[in-house]
Amino acid sequence: MTIPATTRPKASESGKSSKDGSLTPSEKKYVSSDDLYRHSSQYNLWSFTQAQLDEMRRAANEKGRKAALQRFEAARSSAEAENPAVFAAHGEELTSNMLELITYEEEQVFLRFICLQIIQICAHFNMPTQVRATAMSFFRKFYLVHSVMEYRPKNVAYTIVFLAAKLENYFILIESFCTRIPKTKAADILGLEFEVLQTLQFTLLVHHPFRPLWGFFLDFQLALLHPSPVMYDVSVDTIGKLYDQAKTWLNEYALLSDAPFMFTPPQIALAAFYDCDKRITDRYLRLKYLSEGPDSMETIAEEEEDPAVSKHKQTQKEQYDILVKTLKRCIVVAKQELPTSREESAKIDERCFFILSPQKLLKKKIKAFSA
Amino acid sequence: MKFDGTTLHKYTKEKKVGEGTYAVVYVGKQEFSHRQVAIKEIKTGLFKDGLDMSAIREVKYLKELRHNNVIELVDVYMSPDKNLNLVLEYLPCDLEVLIKDTSVVFKSSDIKSWLLMTLRGLHHCHRNFILHRDLKPNNLLLSPDGELKLADFGLARAFGSPNEDLTPKVVTRWYRAPELLFGAKHYTGAVDIWAVGIIFAELMLRIPYLPGKDDVDQLDVTFKALGTPTEQIWPNVSSLPNYDALKVYPLPSRQELRNRFSAATDKALDLMIMMTQLDPSRRFDTTRCLQDDFFLEQPLATSPKDLPTKSSGGDEKRRKTNA
Repeated sequence: MTIPATTRPKASESGKSSKDGSLTPSEKKYVSSDDLYRHSSQYNLWSFTQAQLDEMRRAANEKGRKAALQRFEAARSSAEAENPAVFAAHGEELTSNMLELITYEEEQVFLRFICLQIIQICAHFNMPTQVRATAMSFFRKFYLVHSVMEYRPKNVAYTIVFLAAKLENYFILIESFCTRIPKTKAADILGLEFEVLQTLQFTLLVHHPFRPLWGFFLDFQLALLHPSPVMYDVSVDTIGKLYDQAKTWLNEYALLSDAPFMFTPPQIALAAFYDCDKRITDRYLRLKYLSEGPDSMETIAEEEEDPAVSKHKQTQKEQYDILVKTLKRCIVVAKQELPTSREESAKIDERCFFILSPQKLLKKKIKAFSA
Repeated sequence: MKFDGTTLHKYTKEKKVGEGTYAVVYVGKQEFSHRQVAIKEIKTGLFKDGLDMSAIREVKYLKELRHNNVIELVDVYMSPDKNLNLVLEYLPCDLEVLIKDTSVVFKSSDIKSWLLMTLRGLHHCHRNFILHRDLKPNNLLLSPDGELKLADFGLARAFGSPNEDLTPKVVTRWYRAPELLFGAKHYTGAVDIWAVGIIFAELMLRIPYLPGKDDVDQLDVTFKALGTPTEQIWPNVSSLPNYDALKVYPLPSRQELRNRFSAATDKALDLMIMMTQLDPSRRFDTTRCLQDDFFLEQPLATSPKDLPTKSSGGDEKRRKTNA
């Protein structure tokens, strides 16, 4: 297994250059997994820095506010034509000030809440991890581009779970899907499929950290137990338990966070191991990078070192340091907290409802004035 | 983003070239480049469960696979009537057409070339953890300059996730590997290799190698030709769901295979044998196939541009439409 040693270049920097089709630098004679990853849509279209993510979300929020205001003005004009008297008397109270637009901060909290709901929907259908992970990824991508003031997150969430199930070999008939979720209509769910696909730019294959996690699980055993155990208290059982913990970690933290936008799947998988058991994971990394295997003592014993060898060691050390730093950053990103509450989210959801249907808001107010 | 109104006018559909149950295929042009393309329009209205699964699967995998021997997905867009349109590179011929066209003579170097291109395309799929699961001559399309491209990814899926069940109901019957015939829920890229091995045989024979009439007959035809797998040659085969105490046919002798493929060299036979091993774990993977001596043996693979093409003569109807 190849370990990604370097931090991922930003999509805006070297990511671009790899798009021109040059698969490998000329001196390389093979194509590594890392090279292949650099050709994925996930790397080329959906990898960002934290700053880029923030900027995109602010832009989406701004776009949503503009759309909300436009929608309101259109609704206001037709309401005015229908109720000229009310507008003549109370026109200045029937302005867009009535709209309680959603701020950037509120939007993030609300989206987080819906993400947690997606987990529940998937659990409700007993869907495999893969479906849940893909749905989460689609949802978070959708709201990098759009705002909750344009598409109601609840509806988008249902469509996305349905679509993810279809794409990850866990197909559910639309009727049974709707039957098992109260108050949903097939047309609402299917109606958004196109919108979701377009927003995703038709990139539907998501690389999750679960496969590399499994790969590292196997490689940990190979490196730490064979031919003989390297750590006196680490057995197959220990590594098995660590694997389970790391899997839970991915589900609880990584998938809900920005980590998948900022790090490669193997980096996230290693970060999961590292955060769950730093001691074992670090030993593994040292074995892989710093040749601290059973043979390494001999190398150290040799006094006069070949300059090429010491250069090699230095590079190894640098790679190790970069990797550990990357893992630590990934852990911080994955564990960023964003507390949400059902009450607050329900309020935001209600505001979204009126923002998306301003005619209903106007009608309510006009009725109050006419009474 | 390029899927607003402008996209709708970026392609012209010039001629309907095929109609299948779930798609209509047109030949058209990309307007700004005048590039000829095939546009596969998916009939959305037919599917009450939303976008058709094989269409979006095709999009899912082709979006990621860029390789000279895999069909290029040029673009995807929605037409105003809300139909999904896949814009694919235009490939006017396929290997099935050529195999059936008895006026075209295949040299051994031609067969080598098609096999090589198939394996290269497949290697790219497998190293990206994608199984094709429907390889057959009809899905190996040919470009005007002779390049062979894997097409129709409607049955493709990703593999390599632990503890995942896969459906054995894949691959067109004649090209179905024994583990699939036995109903295995866990299988690998070896199912694709088997199909390529059978295609390899078909290229030499010019008729389908294992044409079973139905699923039961397929087992019989397959094992009559290649021997019935037993525990000795394929450990644990008897634990597969549909393994029955079948009629036991002996493994074909080398001489028998030599008679069957009289024009094949020893190296060609060796490779075919390794691609059609009954036990999937003994079958060569794409890397082993590509490194095989067969490809180094004279005559070397024909260069794509020198490969035979279908005989001219209004063969339009047999054109692969991929619908």
